Amino acid sequence: MTTKRPLKTALNQGFIRCHDCGEVIKIKAAQHQSCRICHAKLNARKPESLQRTTALVISSFCLYIPANIFPIMLVTELGRGEPHTIIGGIYALIKSDMIPIALLVLIASILVPLLKLVGLSILIFCVYYQWQVNARLLTIMYRVVAFVGRWSMLDIFMISILIALVDIRGVAQVIAGPAATAFAAVVVLTMLAAKFFDPRLIWDHQHYHE
Amino acid sequence: MVKFEACPDCDVLLNPISAESGSKVSCPRCGYTLERPRQQSLERTLLLSITGLILFLPANLLPMLGIQIFGNRHEGSLWSGVFALINQDMWAVALLVLLSSVILPIVNMSLAFLVSFHLYFDKPNRYLSFWLRWFQHLNEWAMLEVFALSIIVACVKLSSLADLHFGFGLYAFTALLLVNAMLANELDERLFWRLIARQVDP
Repeated sequence: MTTKRPLKTALNQGFIRCHDCGEVIKIKAAQHQSCRICHAKLNARKPESLQRTTALVISSFCLYIPANIFPIMLVTELGRGEPHTIIGGIYALIKSDMIPIALLVLIASILVPLLKLVGLSILIFCVYYQWQVNARLLTIMYRVVAFVGRWSMLDIFMISILIALVDIRGVAQVIAGPAATAFAAVVVLTMLAAKFFDPRLIWDHQHYHE
Repeated sequence: MVKFEACPDCDVLLNPISAESGSKVSCPRCGYTLERPRQQSLERTLLLSITGLILFLPANLLPMLGIQIFGNRHEGSLWSGVFALINQDMWAVALLVLLSSVILPIVNMSLAFLVSFHLYFDKPNRYLSFWLRWFQHLNEWAMLEVFALSIIVACVKLSSLADLHFGFGLYAFTALLLVNAMLANELDERLFWRLIARQVDP
């Protein structure tokens, strides 16, 4: 454990930190009020943080499946159409000897969403069952999860560029597939899940020994 | 009244923090960077946001990429991906791409401009905190740098298939990307909030 003695937190000393501007206010003065500096609603913890995060993570898990089995785009060359899934696209990149780019797409569109979902699930379990953990480490994990989320949009942007540029009917055309919507939804929902999760919940149930 | 501060990530209660510019203060409990002051944050934010807003015009209007397949030339700008998605009935994805690559970067840059303009010229405005709050909430949804990376990946994918040309829009977009990254680095939110708090109770 990184901290040996119990530290004073804002909550157990009767204070609330405003989520938006950081102003620290006495709880008694803050009850059902908004921050006097920035007018944001004052809550000691993000409201319904665990429920919202759980709901969004479960939805993302469900959408992650169609995002990976259905084709994310259809590539038509000289009349022959060929569906590409996310993994298929990476495989095609490896076959054409573009290993670094294949690695980049693999990280951005397969590993990042999956690790995000696993990471958020661990955080949810840890808070719900009040596990005694290395809170500092889990907080760092939360920060990583919150930071990397947006990079999964790489695949969606790439499809939008490809379908805009490769558009010559009968010769070469790229059409977005049903997985694109599912994948975009996974990215948005996991970003929201990370946003709604309150890292202070990790610290709230940790017992420290002298 | 004694003022306190609290860490946003672990809620530990701290005495007021102050740091020299160039150094940084981290939370003793969870390691969160509590304060990292910048030199001339206000001036730089103001100038960078003006530069960014100007660069949005060429980056959005001029063609970025040209492609030539079997003699057919085709050009695309920042917007053409959105139109192509709408043409293929992918409304949700089109909306997401439109928001994260065009609208929210402009909104964010405008908010940074509004806040730094009012604070720099010391003009009180009751919407200041509203603007800065929205800036903080929308920041992660503006994804110019992700878009830039996807341009690179798309170019690599297409390079075996066709000849590529780079338009002036791409150079403007690259400049915009740099300005945007510098802005994110120079904007000291805690300084801005302190200045806004000073307006609320001097």
